[in-house]
Amino acid sequence: MQVNLRHKGSITILDIEGKVLGADSLALKDIINQQIQITKGEAEREEKLNLILNMERVQMMDSSGLGVLVASHTTIRRDGGNIVLLNLGGNVRSLIVMAKLMTIFDCYDTEAEAIAGIIRT
Amino acid sequence: MGERTEQVITLSLPSSMQHVDLLKVIVTEILKETNFTEDIQEQINLAVIEAGTNATKHSNKENPEKQTTFQLILAENQLTIAIEDEGEESTRPETEQVITLSLPSSMQHVYLLDVVVTEILKETNFTEDIQEQINLAVIEAGTNAIKHGNKENPLKKATLEFTLAEDRLEIVIEDEGDGFTRQEVADPLDPENLLKSSGRGLFLMEACMDSVTYENNGTIIKMVKYKGIPES
Repeated sequence: MQVNLRHKGSITILDIEGKVLGADSLALKDIINQQIQITKGEAEREEKLNLILNMERVQMMDSSGLGVLVASHTTIRRDGGNIVLLNLGGNVRSLIVMAKLMTIFDCYDTEAEAIAGIIRT
Repeated sequence: MGERTEQVITLSLPSSMQHVDLLKVIVTEILKETNFTEDIQEQINLAVIEAGTNATKHSNKENPEKQTTFQLILAENQLTIAIEDEGEESTRPETEQVITLSLPSSMQHVYLLDVVVTEILKETNFTEDIQEQINLAVIEAGTNAIKHGNKENPLKKATLEFTLAEDRLEIVIEDEGDGFTRQEVADPLDPENLLKSSGRGLFLMEACMDSVTYENNGTIIKMVKYKGIPES
């Protein structure tokens, strides 16, 4: 798994590539938690974490990866931020559908829509 | 003693040249966990494949009823590879091929499961979608055995046995843990569990396979995917 971090204005985007399994799920969790901590450090500026996970190049994800998405969703929303999913491939989409989590996550097909959607929420 | 730092990975394959690729991906993946240079890794890989080819072709005469067993022993400063071909006749039906993989219980080996299953599935005629489902089920079952069964104790083994039959693929996963009761595992689709960060492994295995059965107090899990439509 490889993760590329970039910013668009106040929005953080993680481009995730490869397979999110086992030990790499923990690595992804660390990367997201780091972003949560950085945003918290800027609390005096009343910044909230708005995070887009670009899943376009995720080949596969297992229950540990899915668990990271769910846990991140809970933490970020509780802090008043937002997390949305971009470009879900067939595999990850069916995993989320199977786990009945489609209503939990906001999913978008283009980055422009994700940026518009994450700000609106 | 020194033995405690050793990690032993065992792979047992039917003696058919089509499985040499499987050996290659496994050795490649295991070598990544060592600190040998890339050049040396390639040399080791080549040597293992030559030896594996010999065992398969010359000793076992490409008879898929006979198994070739590979033991890769990773110690602190060395990698030992033992290859054994089968002397006596096997009693397995001619139409079934069995591949066995035994791993120390460390989360870093989950990737090894992925490459092995991907390679084995290539030899089947399951559709791509079904192959992905089976792959997920094996990763979930392997992760469970390593993490929950063996508590990531590298001295304990997770063993996976793949039986490729004409009408189905059967996978048996065994760990050395204390076992569990399936009925006591919470339903991840229950609204109160929906947002939990774990507990979906068994559910996904059952959703992806045609049948999942729990034996010996849950330390043995047997999963089946049929090639046609299963009789219900």
